[in-house]
Amino acid sequence: MRKLRALWMRLLGMFGPERARDEIRAELEAHLQLHIDDNLRAGMSPQEARRQALIRLGGIEQTRQAMRERKTLPWLETLGQDTRFGLRMLAKSPGFAAVAVLTLALGIGANTAIFSVVNVVLLRPLPYANPGRLVLVSESQPKAGSSEEGMSWPAFTELRDHNRSFSAVAGLASHALTLTGRGEPADMSTVVVTPDFFSVFGTKPLLGRTLLPVDGQPGAAPAVVVSEALWRSRFGADPVIVGSQVTLDMRPFTVVGVMPASFHTPFFSQAEQLWIPLVQDPLFSGWTTKPQAPHWMPVIGLLRPGVSIAQARAELQTISVGLAAKFPDERGWQLGIRPLRDEVVGDVRSPLLVLLCAVALVLLIACANIANLLLTRATARSTEIAVRVAIGASPQRIARQLLTESMLLGLLGGAAGVALAGWGVSALKWTLPAGLPQLHSIRVDGFVLAFALALSLAASLIFGLAPAIFAAKGDPQTHLRESARAGEARRSQRARSLLATAEVALAMILLVAAGLLMRSFARLTAVQPGFQTENIVKAEVSLPRFRYPNPQQWTAFSNQLMTRLQSAPGLQNSAIAAPLPILDNAVTLPFVIAGNPPLPPGTVHLADYVAASPRYFHVMAIPLLRGRFFNADDSPSSPPVALITEAFAHRYFPGQDPLGRHMLFGFPPYGNVSREIVGVVADIHDVSLAKKLAPMLYVPFAQAPFWGGEIVVRSTLSASAIAGAIRAQTHSIDPNLPITGIESFPEAMRASVAQPRFRTALLGIFSGMALLLAAIGIFGVVSWSVSRRSREIGVRMALGAQRQDVVRLILMQGSRPALAGVAIGAVGALLLTRLMTSLLYGIRATDPLTYAGVAILLLAVEAIATYIPARRAASIDPMQALRSE
Amino acid sequence: MGDKTDVWQGTLALMVLKTLETMGPQHGYGIARRIEQTSGNALSLNYGTLYPALLKLEQEGAIASEWGTSENNRKAKYYKLTRAGHRQLERAAREWSQATAIVARFLEPASETR
Repeated sequence: MRKLRALWMRLLGMFGPERARDEIRAELEAHLQLHIDDNLRAGMSPQEARRQALIRLGGIEQTRQAMRERKTLPWLETLGQDTRFGLRMLAKSPGFAAVAVLTLALGIGANTAIFSVVNVVLLRPLPYANPGRLVLVSESQPKAGSSEEGMSWPAFTELRDHNRSFSAVAGLASHALTLTGRGEPADMSTVVVTPDFFSVFGTKPLLGRTLLPVDGQPGAAPAVVVSEALWRSRFGADPVIVGSQVTLDMRPFTVVGVMPASFHTPFFSQAEQLWIPLVQDPLFSGWTTKPQAPHWMPVIGLLRPGVSIAQARAELQTISVGLAAKFPDERGWQLGIRPLRDEVVGDVRSPLLVLLCAVALVLLIACANIANLLLTRATARSTEIAVRVAIGASPQRIARQLLTESMLLGLLGGAAGVALAGWGVSALKWTLPAGLPQLHSIRVDGFVLAFALALSLAASLIFGLAPAIFAAKGDPQTHLRESARAGEARRSQRARSLLATAEVALAMILLVAAGLLMRSFARLTAVQPGFQTENIVKAEVSLPRFRYPNPQQWTAFSNQLMTRLQSAPGLQNSAIAAPLPILDNAVTLPFVIAGNPPLPPGTVHLADYVAASPRYFHVMAIPLLRGRFFNADDSPSSPPVALITEAFAHRYFPGQDPLGRHMLFGFPPYGNVSREIVGVVADIHDVSLAKKLAPMLYVPFAQAPFWGGEIVVRSTLSASAIAGAIRAQTHSIDPNLPITGIESFPEAMRASVAQPRFRTALLGIFSGMALLLAAIGIFGVVSWSVSRRSREIGVRMALGAQRQDVVRLILMQGSRPALAGVAIGAVGALLLTRLMTSLLYGIRATDPLTYAGVAILLLAVEAIATYIPARRAASIDPMQALRSE
Repeated sequence: MGDKTDVWQGTLALMVLKTLETMGPQHGYGIARRIEQTSGNALSLNYGTLYPALLKLEQEGAIASEWGTSENNRKAKYYKLTRAGHRQLERAAREWSQATAIVARFLEPASETR
């Protein structure tokens, strides 16, 4: 308390320094007078009296100084002085200041922008009541090598009813339901949940209540929870909405509550509008009663307080064993959990971290560059500094002043950087996947500002330290005496070369990373998907299940639509299928080959499943290798058939003829059907270009229809004409059918690689910045040294050195830090690029071609950066150089 | 100055406070002389060090100052103890006597064994 008061008084003391100074002088004057009076009274002579008084005071100047320092905060005062002086110095060399501030602004801006994304996506907890306790529960078949999948209904109920680790577990799925009776009929993005869903997340409803266990009972009155967005847009924010009825897929539901706009279901895009109990969903409710268990349901659990993931995992082991004993279908399946956060941010973590590393490297390079500039300036200012030292400034005082100037630069750069970041963040935001939580809250907030401030100060320390130390160490005499400078210059030269080496090394790392990403992106886009997308337009038609309840209607509709489309001029090549490769999620199903011995328990054959109309293969240009395609005769009443892909034949019929063999499989609602293999088609990349070819199965759409599908049309007509025709033909059958996702296929494919493209471009930009900065660094070092050595060069030339000798001399000097930097950078890159393996496609992190290419590029750029000063050195007139000193 | 003791760090403030308590308002020179006298001239006080100490006490609120006139008609800055200063003096004095008592107890047995 006392200390604080004193600090405050001293701070106040900094204002009105004039008055304070007068008062101190007056007080000391009075002191002396009183003392002199006493001494005179004791019989001293006036001179002696004054002398003694001064001696006892211990020097009037020192006392005054001590008091002044006590009166104010000396360090603050010096800081003020240094700041004013630093600003003056910067204003005196605006070119230097502009370059330094701009370089820093780019570095700090890039870091701040990326950090603001990292902060929200990777650092901030998920926006739920107990984010740390949320986990994703999944099932996998470790022996069959299958990755994590959803849970089957029996496994889920077993887990829900017999666990001690979880406060609550809930399954969820998404589905579109048609809302009618409130304005235009519309498809609502609906999350289908088990009733504990809301207890897992712990978010309170805005109005009414959330779902209760009773809502999940079979036969319960249908209840629905609506989102705040829907409540406002469609129900006019009706305050008495709770208890009212809405119609979904022609069934009445009672609204029981409204969820606040801040609540979003993880994974699903944030556009969900309704939540209904699973038992009320026309599609998924059927899956809860089937004895055979597809693993379709993602399950989220809330761990009990104090239960660790490891403990829960141990309990899940036990439950898995029990499950296998109880349900034969569950044999070989293993329950597993991991933090929900990992699942939600999984795909963006490594790209974000790589970008964060990249911008950090750029900033380091920028710091090295500014340190170099400052060293040059410090040399130019050596006389000024020497004079200050000579008139009594301590080395610490000089160092502090230089550091203050660095801090000024850092803060100016930081301020400009934050402005840049604000702009960059909005650009970054829409390049992230829409399912990420809290995307809307990414911005330059207080925390990010604090980060930028800390970064600016840290950066100024990094680039300000070397010049400050050099200045503090220097002996004023050597500064003042021209001839004694050689030693100091050599030391400083070494520091610069080290900095340049560091810059090249850092640039090398960054360029290798960017080079790897670029090459892998080039490979990715060069991958032949196995089908042709040119001139294809796709559109999705979905049949509301309340008007088209049974599969016969789906088949009839698709047949009718295909007939109409194909008879329209220019649209002969039309087909319907689901799912489409790359653009839709693949459907992976287990199957059994008839005639093969039963599989060992715990193993299963899996293949990606597509239902397609006969013309699909022509439209997509997927070639037939053996057998036949589907045709119009493959109808619901004809024998069930299937096509397999080459990879399928290789894997499951090695050395055998698959034609004529039968397989048992089926999309869940229908169960297993025995199908004859009638043909083998070429492989395609159906999941993503980056994944390897998976075995695939095709079935005729007419024999295994979905409630709608993707229409693909290959035509030379314009995309808008095709889209218009699809719309017109569909609506001629049923004017109320929603048609969504009309897009040209190639464009939709390009969008699927938008994220790798964007991250490659970003890293390319950052590494370009690094290359430029490193080139400037080397250029600065070499041209500085040329200017210092002009006399030596003059002597050499006077003694007969040729121009090319001089050029070679200087080139050698520049090549040393460049070569060392490339070597060190290569090692660093080998160590660091391992972290980005998951981002690479078709190329290893140690790809020698990339390393060699980057090294050559760097050395070439450095050679140019060195050649310019070398030319200047060679054009030195020896006579002038010798005369100048 | 050989046998005179320098003022220990931190004790000067205590001496100033005590002096002001006994003498009432006093100027810097007066305080300095009084400290010397009280110590029986055993202390060598560099008068110059007194003034920063006074400033510090004033900033901490233990003393207050105002200009006045001395007995022989000189203008001088007079310091006086504030209520906070009284409290600070009380506490400091108590701590000081405790500290000296403890140190004294440490030294006693050593002198007995000799």
